[in-house]
Amino acid sequence: MDHGVLNMHDELIARGKAGDQEAHRRLYKLYSKAMYNVGLRITRSEEEAEDVLQEAFINAFRNIDSYRGDATFGAWLKRIVVNKAINAVSRKKHDPIPDDDRWDIAEDEPPADYGDGLTVDRVKRCMEELPDGYRTVLSLYLLEGYDHQEIGEIMGISESTSKSQLNRAKARLRELLMQKS
Amino acid sequence: MKDRLEEFIRENRAAFDDKEPSEKVWSNINASLGLRRTGVWNSLVLWRAAAVIFMVLCGYLLIPKNTENPIAVDSARSEFDDVEAFYIRQISEKVEMIDEFQKSEGLNGFTHDFQQLEAMYMVLKEEIKTSPSQKVKDALVLNLLIRIDLLNQQLHKLEKEYKKDSQDEPKKQSV
Repeated sequence: MDHGVLNMHDELIARGKAGDQEAHRRLYKLYSKAMYNVGLRITRSEEEAEDVLQEAFINAFRNIDSYRGDATFGAWLKRIVVNKAINAVSRKKHDPIPDDDRWDIAEDEPPADYGDGLTVDRVKRCMEELPDGYRTVLSLYLLEGYDHQEIGEIMGISESTSKSQLNRAKARLRELLMQKS
Repeated sequence: MKDRLEEFIRENRAAFDDKEPSEKVWSNINASLGLRRTGVWNSLVLWRAAAVIFMVLCGYLLIPKNTENPIAVDSARSEFDDVEAFYIRQISEKVEMIDEFQKSEGLNGFTHDFQQLEAMYMVLKEEIKTSPSQKVKDALVLNLLIRIDLLNQQLHKLEKEYKKDSQDEPKKQSV
């Protein structure tokens, strides 16, 4: 089934490579929503996320020849979006990743009690309150499915920094969720 | 021990992608690519046209090379052959005359020079087969002319010597 989906996209991608406008439109329709949310989680701003989305798609379609099919088209595109979103955030020079060890806690902390109020909306709102570095690592790991090695590459940090950042981010998120429950 | 938060996020992954970008994003992308697209298309057409022209040109240059060029070579060749035939005829006539004159005489220096010129001519004929250039052609013609000149000199000399004995009229062709 996966193969079928890939093949369907392969045909679209081939047409996209030839500059077919309809193929571009269909690829955009297929991926824009997911990609927009990827960008939105990192930039926290709808305006910026739209800029990132726009730039990423233009960039992707212009360089679609460099997509060799080693990964899925979605993964290739997501990487472009993530890079552009991280650039957008760092351009604004938001708070750098906090250096303190306050959140450097063990992974197997007993599950926190979030009450009954654990909803997607609340998690999202609390995630938005995380510092840029934490939020990015957390969303790349938990939502975009990158491993620590990949996050390290994307963010220019070491694998172990990625791990400790994730732990801190999760701890901070838990704290925020409990505060707001 | 699995964290409930992580589990919750993974279970509700799809719900996190809830926001939609505005319509203007696609129209901006489309507009931006539109300019580019025509460019890419034009250049594609251009490349295709260039490829077709290239192939046609190659075909034109390659096939005629096997038919037309040999014709060109042939025409130059046959032109030269005419010139050669004309001179060779003269040479053989003169050689015949000289032979008649000096049946009794040794051929001496004249024959030696003449034979050398003949040998050189053969070498030049081989040369023109491998690399037909104007230079070689000129050398061949020059060789023929020198031989004719030599023969004329020799004939002239013989004519004087045997004037009284012979009534044969040597041809005084100027070349």
